[in-house]
Amino acid sequence: MPHAITRRGLGAMMGAVVAVPVIGRTAAAADTTALEAAARKEGSLTWYTAHTDGETAEQVGRAFTARYPGITVNVIRTTAQVAYQRLLQDIKNNSAQCDVFSSTDPGHDEALKARKLLAHYVPLAASVVSEPFRGVDPDGFYYATSAGLVLITYNTSKLRAEDVPKNWPDLLLPKYKDQVSVGHPAFSGYVGTWVLAMRKLYGWEYFEKLEKNKPQIGRSVNDTVTMLNSGERLVAAGPSGTTLSSADKGNPLALVYPTDGAVLLVSPSAIMANAPHPNAARLFMEFMLGEEHAKISVEKRNESLRPEVKPLAGAKPLEEAKVIRLSVAEISKGIPEVIEQWRDTFGT
Amino acid sequence: MKRRFDPLILLWIVLAAALTFLVVNPLLRLIITSLEAADTGAWTLANYVSAYGRPRYLQALYNSLMLGGAVTVLCLVFALPIAWAVSRTDMPGKGAIRLLVLGAFITPPYLGAIGWILLAGPNAGWLNRAWMGLTGATEGLFDIYSFAGLTFIIAIYSFPYLFIFTSSALDVVSSEMEDAANILGAGTIRTMARITLPMVLPAIIGGAIVTFLETIALFGSPALIAIPARFNVVTTQLLQFFSPPVRTEVAAAFAIPLLLITVLLFALQRRLISRKGFVAVTGKGGERRLIELGPWRWVMLGYAFLVLSMSVLLPYAALSQAALSRAWGRGWRLDNLTLHNFSYLLFEHATAGRSVLNSFVYAFSAACLAIFLSLAIAYIVARRLLPFAGVLGFLAMAPFVVPGIVLAIAFYAAYAPPPLALYGTGLILILAFTTRFLPIGFANASAAIRGINPEMEEAVRILGGGRLLAVRRVLAPLMKRSMIGAWLLVFIPATRELSTAMFLYGPNTRTMSVMLMDLSEEGNFENLAALGFMLLAATIVIVGVGSRLVGGDFMMRRDRS
Repeated sequence: MPHAITRRGLGAMMGAVVAVPVIGRTAAAADTTALEAAARKEGSLTWYTAHTDGETAEQVGRAFTARYPGITVNVIRTTAQVAYQRLLQDIKNNSAQCDVFSSTDPGHDEALKARKLLAHYVPLAASVVSEPFRGVDPDGFYYATSAGLVLITYNTSKLRAEDVPKNWPDLLLPKYKDQVSVGHPAFSGYVGTWVLAMRKLYGWEYFEKLEKNKPQIGRSVNDTVTMLNSGERLVAAGPSGTTLSSADKGNPLALVYPTDGAVLLVSPSAIMANAPHPNAARLFMEFMLGEEHAKISVEKRNESLRPEVKPLAGAKPLEEAKVIRLSVAEISKGIPEVIEQWRDTFGT
Repeated sequence: MKRRFDPLILLWIVLAAALTFLVVNPLLRLIITSLEAADTGAWTLANYVSAYGRPRYLQALYNSLMLGGAVTVLCLVFALPIAWAVSRTDMPGKGAIRLLVLGAFITPPYLGAIGWILLAGPNAGWLNRAWMGLTGATEGLFDIYSFAGLTFIIAIYSFPYLFIFTSSALDVVSSEMEDAANILGAGTIRTMARITLPMVLPAIIGGAIVTFLETIALFGSPALIAIPARFNVVTTQLLQFFSPPVRTEVAAAFAIPLLLITVLLFALQRRLISRKGFVAVTGKGGERRLIELGPWRWVMLGYAFLVLSMSVLLPYAALSQAALSRAWGRGWRLDNLTLHNFSYLLFEHATAGRSVLNSFVYAFSAACLAIFLSLAIAYIVARRLLPFAGVLGFLAMAPFVVPGIVLAIAFYAAYAPPPLALYGTGLILILAFTTRFLPIGFANASAAIRGINPEMEEAVRILGGGRLLAVRRVLAPLMKRSMIGAWLLVFIPATRELSTAMFLYGPNTRTMSVMLMDLSEEGNFENLAALGFMLLAATIVIVGVGSRLVGGDFMMRRDRS
């Protein structure tokens, strides 16, 4: 086993060396022609992703193939934990499957980076994304390629306008007893990060008070959408994307951008050091930071990474909302802590 | 004693090799993982200390055992009266009841649980709102988010195991002994309780064990119900070991005691069964007559209908609202009705059609493999043809207690990397499904074989026929019906299997159950419900066509009375 890791470490370093000429060319001309040619020789890439639902992931894959004919994307869409667990098994078994790894939890990328399993690559497009998405990894191993918000969501047909909460402490009011829906930090990175942000703003007492309102605890942050739609619960700490998609169909849902801040989650993507298709992987990273991908994201109600692509109705551009973004280090360190605290407070 | 080389030795070797591949190797890896330190690979017991060193984890194990016991009892209450009424009495409407049992069996427990959340959610469940509307109460009647709620939800989708085990055994019992009891003055109830049910005890015990083990290995419904209800079971706890920091080795250690429980259950089964003779089908012709229940047949029909409306009619009614809506949060409204969810899945969705097809192909292959293996093993075990046959029997049952997600990891570790490199192929799913459901096939096959007196095969052999001839011409026809039953018992759960598939599917091998889970995690309820209906319809058609092809048996057969 130690041998394998050493070998892979070497691979990562070689990856870094190979990447240098590409960066050199960036300065001269932002052009991916050489990369395209090399990628086309590889013909395909495998993408482990937890960023979106399966349909959207397939759509992104197809859009990439349409832009670069001859390069297909094998999409393996799972939840972040399953994707990561699978990747660890691949690594353990010494079988290189994955080219681009897109988790929703930057902690995964940090762990992989520490084990020298990620390839160093600076995409040409990394410098033109909107400000909140730059420099997620100062070392340049992974990049934000998708983003969403956790904010207050509610059922518009059951909650009277004057009862709509304005900020996070409003959820603690007695009038929301038995009416709040949340996910579980151990099952959802979105929920974990939200819990961490609340702890940072208001201390753990926030959740001790929340428990007095007997919130409904699901797993995924998207479970709140189901709970609001069914009328089982009226308000939630919910996701922007899924809630708006469901509202687009006509469901009675809407967002509140809390005055004390919506929690921004950036989901990173990275190229594996032992990627079987390294050039196709790089080209795909460029694509994910590009305008076309931003348009797909906005349509699917995720946040736009590019300043020139604006969100559709019902959502605000990030510049107009108060946003809380935690650092990767805070998240990596904090989430295991809050999971334990959560279990002590809520018993599950 | 042995005069010449027995070809059965060869069969034994083949079976042993198959079981080694499917069961021993993956489980061995699991055990080894549980005894290794994660980073160094050194031998250690530390994983067991981590897995069982906290009251919270022990509580999860306790909860699972309680849940398994409670579900099994409830399933007996649901299944036995219905099976008896369908197999032995003149209750009307048997065809419809069998069809509804099939419906309950096809329904992924995960989907049914969602239906019941809509029905019995404490604030907005239909039943609770109806109750509050009728009585003016401020609180609902049911809270599905509770231990009792979870027990109920699992039981209404698990009782078909016991129903099928019991009714296929009852189908081959002749009426002679019941007649004898009647002549000696016993009434219908007494005869059923003292004669009929005890005769099929092996089938009942087999079914009960399968129910218990299936319950503690279930992932989907506990994830939906137990977490909001604020308690953990083994499978939800296992998933937490896979959250960061991921501790596969602790998960493995946590799963090992479940294997010991299986061993215990089988020792128990052996004790219960060995003292008595359960040979019900003999070479002497027997007559089967239906018991006349008089007005009570309507009571039995009412009971069967009540149970089945809880598992099929009510939840699907709730789900149909979502399946037929543009936006299900708006409720029943004319302008909200649409068939678009169905046409979208059928014609526009990139992967829906493929995942439906995948599910059926994998389930079909796995069912054929599992039935072939379990028949051969059960026969060898029951007739004690070879030494160490019992070991084969145990191995065939062992996979059942390994929670699907752990089995999947064992399979992934064993067969995903080269030299076999089965990762991303349909084959790895087929093999994993075969392993996962081998115990169902085996339990059913051995119950069926135990119920057949060897005298008929002996007659063939006395007359000069070989064992294979005896198997082909005597045993096979006698067992045909219960084997079709057993095949369906593997096929159907394989079409709805989630926990194994979740971890093993590749880009082109996504199954329907995984897609249901994906849709649920995406909060895409309209499509989720529509897919549930498509699954129901497709399985009914396939099972119906299959049953007709092999002679109109099992679930779909016509009422003979």
